[in-house]
Amino acid sequence: MSDAVAAPIALASSRRAGATGPRLVAGLAILALWEATVRAFAPAYVAKPSGILLAIPKVIVDPAFLAAAASTLNAVAQGLAIAVVVGTLLGLLIGRSDIADRALRHYVNGFNALPMIVILPLVTLWFGYTSAARLAITVFAALFSVVVNVADGARAVPREYIEVARSFRAPRRAMLVEIVLPAATPYLLAGVRLGVGRALIGAVVAEFFIGIGGLGYFILFNSRTFRHDEAFVGVLLLAAFGVGADALINWSTRRFLPWYRRDEITD
Amino acid sequence: MGSRAIGRAGTRMSPATLRRHAPFALSLVAGLALWEIVGRNSSPAFMVPLSATLVRLYELARSGELMGQLASSAILFTTGFALALAIGMPAGLLLVRLRVVRVALEPYIVVLYATPMVALIPFILSMMGFGFAPKVLVVFLFAVFPILYNTVEGARSIRPELIEVARSFRSSESALWREVLVPYTLAFTMTGVRQAIGRALVGMVAAEFFLSSTGLGQLIMGASQNFDTAGVFAAILIIWVLGVGLTRVGFVLERRFARWRP
Repeated sequence: MSDAVAAPIALASSRRAGATGPRLVAGLAILALWEATVRAFAPAYVAKPSGILLAIPKVIVDPAFLAAAASTLNAVAQGLAIAVVVGTLLGLLIGRSDIADRALRHYVNGFNALPMIVILPLVTLWFGYTSAARLAITVFAALFSVVVNVADGARAVPREYIEVARSFRAPRRAMLVEIVLPAATPYLLAGVRLGVGRALIGAVVAEFFIGIGGLGYFILFNSRTFRHDEAFVGVLLLAAFGVGADALINWSTRRFLPWYRRDEITD
Repeated sequence: MGSRAIGRAGTRMSPATLRRHAPFALSLVAGLALWEIVGRNSSPAFMVPLSATLVRLYELARSGELMGQLASSAILFTTGFALALAIGMPAGLLLVRLRVVRVALEPYIVVLYATPMVALIPFILSMMGFGFAPKVLVVFLFAVFPILYNTVEGARSIRPELIEVARSFRSSESALWREVLVPYTLAFTMTGVRQAIGRALVGMVAAEFFLSSTGLGQLIMGASQNFDTAGVFAAILIIWVLGVGLTRVGFVLERRFARWRP
């Protein structure tokens, strides 16, 4: 323990080249532990690393899997797109208008705190057992984190910017589009980052519930028929999508908004 | 929540306070009125008015069904969340000082944090069946990674100067933990706890939907299968209040432990 004291806990430790070795070892240890536990204690159908590895080449060329993945990711992308457009408009309104803020803030916070999957039965009442119901859930799941974050961003625009624009007699619309929106963009991205995770959960849960084709249904169907290794490939793809979206948003924040420090925002 | 705001705006108040609360009170009244009007003018299979929802809620409360299901959900939530806290927090704190282990495990914690845990429910179902334990596992899995992730994030951001100063004052290892490491990381852990509260609530409902049906999840499912739309709305209203209340608790906790953070 006392050795560790001498080594300062470095902020950028994760970037150091020396991290790769321990990470590889840890990854292999986790996989070995998983494999050994399943072999020793669990029935043969339970997913284990060796089985998953063997299943990957079969599953990723399976047209049913590809169709399922396309269907789910499409729904998530569409839901996010709608949530971003509507959420940005609502967020700008709430962030820049005092009256709108006071009138709507509690609704937005309330919907944001509601676990969105509880409205599944309602959504199936309204949209039937269709993919429209899944889309509605993904929109609903992602919308409010976008609204909350954009509103925070629009509120946080430095007063001086607004004053300069006013003194040059900038019209209100130009001010929104050219000053407030760019200033709120990092917040928007933070909201989208949260929204991606929620929309993924929403889409998967909707597929469990409604039984329409997609990754969630692929996982459900294969695990019910005791093909856990195949089903787990679906989980891996979902995780990859979640992590990939996260990385993409972090990267674009750093690349295109270098003046902005990411850790200023928590959800 | 809403009735309190109406009451406040309705009683005698200074004009400034009135102006501050009037928009919300008005929008609340408008929202509730809209609910009532839309509900009255649409088929009861799709939408029910506020009044019918409240009547149904009263019936559920009087028959004792509401309290029973609420208690069942509360036990599930508390057990899963307590486990997540009991495992996530010490593990995260331990990783503060075991630098090599922390660096080695970081990417896996990040991946698990970003993985939608609902996708594991079918596996848990077919391996563990319909008991109480699999549902606790679901709530635990939803809650533990935000706690772990944020604690590790905190550990990563401890400024080396803090530790060096403590060391140069000949601080013992136990004092270093007590005075520097734990207070510093707890602020981050509490951010994780706040996120975990929201996620655990989703996990709770998901477990009650897709594993053995109990609690508030069963209340919703049962009502929707019986085409009792008022019952669905009543149950959602309860979960909503629960969600808003618990989120508030999370924010209070976070602020309490993270006062020094900007």
